[in-house]
Amino acid sequence: MKLKPMASALALAAVAAASQAQAWSLEEAAAPYAGTEVNVVFLDRPGYAAIREMLPEFEAATGIKINITTMPYENALGEQVRDFVAGGDLDIALIDLVWIGNFAENGWIVPIDEFTSNPDLADPDLDIADFFPLVLNAFGAWNGVTYGLPLDNYSGLMFYNRCMLEEAGFDGPPATWQELKDVYGPALTKDGKYAFALQSKRNETQSADSFARVLWPFGGSFLDANFRSNLNSPESQAGLQFRQDLMAYMPDGIVAYDHAETVNALAQGDVAMITEWSAFYSTLANPETSTLGDCLAIAPEPMGPAGRKPALGGFSLAVAEQADEAERAAAWLFIQWATSKANAETYLRKGGVPARQSVYQTPGIADEFPFVNALVESWQDGVPEFRPRFAEWPEITEIVQEWGTKMMLGEVSIEDGAREIGTRMEAILEEAGYYSGDKPLAQ
Amino acid sequence: MTARVPRRTILAFLGPSVLALLLVGIVPLLYAVWKSFHDFNLTKVNRQKFVGLDNYATVLTDGTFWAAMGRTATLFAISVPIQIALGLTIALLLHRPGLGLFKTLTRLMLVLPMATTYAVVGLLAQVTMNQKYGVFNQMLGWIGIGPIDFIGDPFNAFVGVIFWDVWQWTPFVALVLLAGLSTVPAEIEEAAQLETKSWWTILRHVQLPFLIPSLVAVLILRTADTLKLFDMVFTMTRGGPGNATEFIAILIERVGNRQFDIGMASAQSIVLLAITIVLARLYIRMFYREVR
Repeated sequence: MKLKPMASALALAAVAAASQAQAWSLEEAAAPYAGTEVNVVFLDRPGYAAIREMLPEFEAATGIKINITTMPYENALGEQVRDFVAGGDLDIALIDLVWIGNFAENGWIVPIDEFTSNPDLADPDLDIADFFPLVLNAFGAWNGVTYGLPLDNYSGLMFYNRCMLEEAGFDGPPATWQELKDVYGPALTKDGKYAFALQSKRNETQSADSFARVLWPFGGSFLDANFRSNLNSPESQAGLQFRQDLMAYMPDGIVAYDHAETVNALAQGDVAMITEWSAFYSTLANPETSTLGDCLAIAPEPMGPAGRKPALGGFSLAVAEQADEAERAAAWLFIQWATSKANAETYLRKGGVPARQSVYQTPGIADEFPFVNALVESWQDGVPEFRPRFAEWPEITEIVQEWGTKMMLGEVSIEDGAREIGTRMEAILEEAGYYSGDKPLAQ
Repeated sequence: MTARVPRRTILAFLGPSVLALLLVGIVPLLYAVWKSFHDFNLTKVNRQKFVGLDNYATVLTDGTFWAAMGRTATLFAISVPIQIALGLTIALLLHRPGLGLFKTLTRLMLVLPMATTYAVVGLLAQVTMNQKYGVFNQMLGWIGIGPIDFIGDPFNAFVGVIFWDVWQWTPFVALVLLAGLSTVPAEIEEAAQLETKSWWTILRHVQLPFLIPSLVAVLILRTADTLKLFDMVFTMTRGGPGNATEFIAILIERVGNRQFDIGMASAQSIVLLAITIVLARLYIRMFYREVR
């Protein structure tokens, strides 16, 4: 008897929810904001080109105009920081995972709750749980609050020249870093070709792609639980020493290699293996930019004694605090649309890498995009604090870049270099107030 | 004459340029001085505070700052003498009589490196000196040398910066010295040529005194240029590998724009400005003689 009214109530609620879902449409939600202009910084990378291609559909449906300023990664942080400090005209923040603490602590970005709690703006099909939890947490959240939705998503993957490996008698890629160095390294480094290239140029590439990449799989890390340097721990030292030893199988001048040089070295058949961001798949698969053809193969990054711990990087979009009410709403609608479940497949086909779990479960996608299985596997076992995400990272990364490169060049021993980075890093954290308890130990 | 021009007219003519100079040059400079007394980081605006001379004390005792100054001085000490030697040679060759069309073409071509944007020179360097695909290593390969790692080796990268600085600025030195040579009165030069056949004697005792103002100008301009050398190195090596090519302007940009420590970067800039002014005064006092 009692079940009947409850069942009726549930049915009513379901009907209400369904009718609300049916009622909500992007066109109607955007109607009050037609003509609003939204300013955002984009990078010159495939994921952003994909959104640019898709953009006319959004603008036609909403009447909202998205003004995109494209710039190199190196300039994107400075440009946005100056704009936010000066109260400029950016309405959306493009956030690299290592900028999120900085942006959130300065109050430059708005938590998504402001929009998800507004039925006029929240797409009932937003389905936050569909984002890979690691990616949403690392790229878009700080201290338990979600600010951004992941747009341009990377995991470190191993790209390799299957033909070169087969010629040298290997059936597949190395399973571990140790195997890469001890077995594949000597066998593939000959006749002017090299087994491996690790992009290590003195910029964020040195910190993210080179230095951090050898810390985590060996059990090391930047900081210990008390936020003191962990770089001189046996595990961190083992990782850094491994990088020095692995240089024997890399091209000369590897400290001058950025992403372009490294991807090109594989694309032109000069090196057999690289570990690079998933986003470079389209460059390596494109016959206009790569000679690899069918020889291109992809695997997760090798494992170290502490597990796989692949490089993690990527960008989310968040609404900027400085935007006015109409701009905030318009910016949210754009972010929600660009990262939506419904658009994920189109985004993928146009060269982007969505962070939506559902798209990778679509039949045929894994066959069509060979990086998918490795990517999904990598996003199960990543470390959100692969590089600390707190506000002090921009200062710390400069130190890591300088001394990390000096280590590779042999200008300083790995022990002394790690100590130098540790001392300077702790001085910055001390000043920031982590040791006095003024700031929570969040990274 | 001046007395008869009304003061208002003088102000009307001079006023706009003085105002523009104040707005573009002096106000930002004063702002930088003011900020240099503050702990002011763009990512920690809430914690901004007045720290007096603390930033200056840090700069003056900072090994990184002086190491960058040392590299800048080394670059200057090597590349400017090369530019003067090559520039003087070119100027003397162009100063000789005859071959009019050839000399006109040469003068035109000399302008090209100077007219190239610094950042483009850096990109050109990166492309030509690429270890695998660069034209330099291609040509060295023809004579059995190389391939040389120009950008990835600290020493080679420094030499690379010197090479491109010389490439870009030797023509400037040549043109300035050529202009200086044209101020030597023809009758004195001809009289000297009747007295001696030694080109060195003519250069040393007749032409060089007339070249002193040009050389001082070259020294002042090249010192200032070297101290603020940024774009070319930034696009070529970004201060690397390690900090092999981290010259003073690269360091200041890094502190200000990448670490966002505007207070410290301002203090570094003011110290650099003081050094530049002192050097310019020294040059003028030591070398400059009015040619009579």
